[in-house]
Amino acid sequence: MKKAILALALGLCTLGTARADTVKIGLLAPITGSWASEGQEMKKNVELLAAEVNAKGGVAGKQVEVVVEDDGGDPRTASLAAQRLTTQGVVAVVGTYGSAVTEATQNIFDEAGIIQIANGSTAVRLTEKGLKNFLRTCPRDDEQGRVGAMVLEKMKAKKIALLHDSSAYSKGLADEINALLKAKKANVVFFDALTPKEQDYSAILTKLKAAGPDVVFFTGYYPEAGLLLKQKKQMGWKVPFIGGDAINNPDLVKIAGKEAAEGFQFLSPPVPKDLDTPEAKAYVVSYQKKYGEAPQSIYGVLAGDGFRVIVAALQASKGAGGEPLRAALGALKDFPGYTGKIAFNAKGDRVGELYRVYKVDKDGGFVLQK
Amino acid sequence: MEQFLEQLTNGLAVGSIYALIALGYTMVYGVLKLINFAHGDLFTYGAYLGLTLLTSFMLQDRLGLALGILVLAAMVMGLVAVVGVVLERAAYRPLRESPRLSAVVSALGASIFLQNTLMLIYGARYQVYPDVLPQDAVHLGGLTIPLVRVGVVAVSVVMMTVLYLFVQKTKIGTAIRAAAIDQGAARLMGIDVNRVIMIVFVIGPALGGAAGLLVGLYYGQISFTMGWTYGMKAFTAAILGGIGNIPGAMVGGLLLGVIEALGAAYLSVAWKDALAFAVLIVILIVRPSGLLGERVAEKV
Repeated sequence: MKKAILALALGLCTLGTARADTVKIGLLAPITGSWASEGQEMKKNVELLAAEVNAKGGVAGKQVEVVVEDDGGDPRTASLAAQRLTTQGVVAVVGTYGSAVTEATQNIFDEAGIIQIANGSTAVRLTEKGLKNFLRTCPRDDEQGRVGAMVLEKMKAKKIALLHDSSAYSKGLADEINALLKAKKANVVFFDALTPKEQDYSAILTKLKAAGPDVVFFTGYYPEAGLLLKQKKQMGWKVPFIGGDAINNPDLVKIAGKEAAEGFQFLSPPVPKDLDTPEAKAYVVSYQKKYGEAPQSIYGVLAGDGFRVIVAALQASKGAGGEPLRAALGALKDFPGYTGKIAFNAKGDRVGELYRVYKVDKDGGFVLQK
Repeated sequence: MEQFLEQLTNGLAVGSIYALIALGYTMVYGVLKLINFAHGDLFTYGAYLGLTLLTSFMLQDRLGLALGILVLAAMVMGLVAVVGVVLERAAYRPLRESPRLSAVVSALGASIFLQNTLMLIYGARYQVYPDVLPQDAVHLGGLTIPLVRVGVVAVSVVMMTVLYLFVQKTKIGTAIRAAAIDQGAARLMGIDVNRVIMIVFVIGPALGGAAGLLVGLYYGQISFTMGWTYGMKAFTAAILGGIGNIPGAMVGGLLLGVIEALGAAYLSVAWKDALAFAVLIVILIVRPSGLLGERVAEKV
């Protein structure tokens, strides 16, 4: 019996060494659930980049293996997925998208000494907890709030309505903007939340209309934003709507219809087609070649950037994870990301201004506002 | 006052969709004492099948809008009914003699299966219906009511009335009611209970599918997970009205829709669901069997 156990242990050891010539990077993404289109695009970006890295000989002499786990866009599913990733020997994890979902996984990775780079979770508090191993390639909501309040000010709106969807991201952003507006003594006439995934928002719109705002800032996601715009038009109500970065998805126009979406403005990191560095343009082309369509969502590209900084840092740390990897990430300066230059501050936040203002034109295109 | 009336119409439109879906829950429960958790997904199938048929046949262009939509609705209802019957055969009939819990677990499994099948076929993106219905609105005093909304309510009411008459006046309807009261006795009276159950799984899913098509045509945006939210609300509506009771499901659906809309208007939008469920709890405390449910009365 003892011999058998010994043999088994030996067998496991050799198995371990046999696998040691790959370095594993996890991807935690909403492959199913209501953000599945974002998650599947994250997967496409990371897998394409991993193939490119491997074709060039891998990182620190090892091939990269991407381990994908589905978080279902749900905090409970995500914490289980995160635990599975920690048992699979990944050195770092890219993801995930929603702030509330990421929050459920942060401590699991941090305690396991695994670096996590979120790509779409912009809630402020994620990097305010002093977690050493958490970073993100997306900006933060206080930055977004600041730009949002600025845009509202520029519009010279006298009565402002704020609408969120009670999610960590959406409520956080709405609170942020509300606080900034209050400090400037702006008149916020409406502050309330809708329930996501319902399709009838006429009750909310009727109530909003009664409050008589000059502009409505909706901080939620694109499926609801599209329906709000569509139903607003059906009601024959013409107030302008503005939104946050979670509305940056071409499906918005499909859902709302071109006529209803025209004139809608939103804040966002640049959309994939506005990425202006030569590397980014080349990347969009190679993505298009592989998948038959250009990347639609900036969060997929941000996941790709998260993967690329991990690879760059692994190169510097000679394939080691944990503290050397974190140190190498901290030491990155002006890394040429596809979404712009990347560097992280001590908290793990991305340094630099990323937000732009976009407006939907009459053909449903997203036009960068200078 | 104007806001009140407008919110009332908002609520009636959502409520009539809840009611249509609730009928499926309530009929299956009436006959089988089973909560068919996959019913919300049959509703989603209606929406997706409607989209596919709408965009591939373009019936509204060939036959004219009214006839085109009518034929489309018939096709969708027929196809979803087929899915319903297959579901009953595959997931529920083998468990007919097992403890009730097994069937409920099977229903949950069927729901996950149906939902993910849809995702694998159509992809995870939101799908969008083309605008085929007129976007006009009726103006009544200071009120602006989109014409489509009136249509949604009218269609639901007609379908519910037809169903009610069918169950009350026809021979098959009588058989359904008999099976709901006592399956054993119904069998002894020469009623083919399996056939009755099959009919229930034709009617319920067909109505659910019709509701899915209505949602697609009215709101335009559909997703493979939408059956969950609607299913939950419709299930609540069925309980509110008294589960197993057909007029109860109609009343429950409309009431739930109106409570939600008025809650959003006069309380907080964020609290409207809490309000709706608080009303449900109060009603169940006062009348444990729901608004129209009676303890010994015939169910269905």
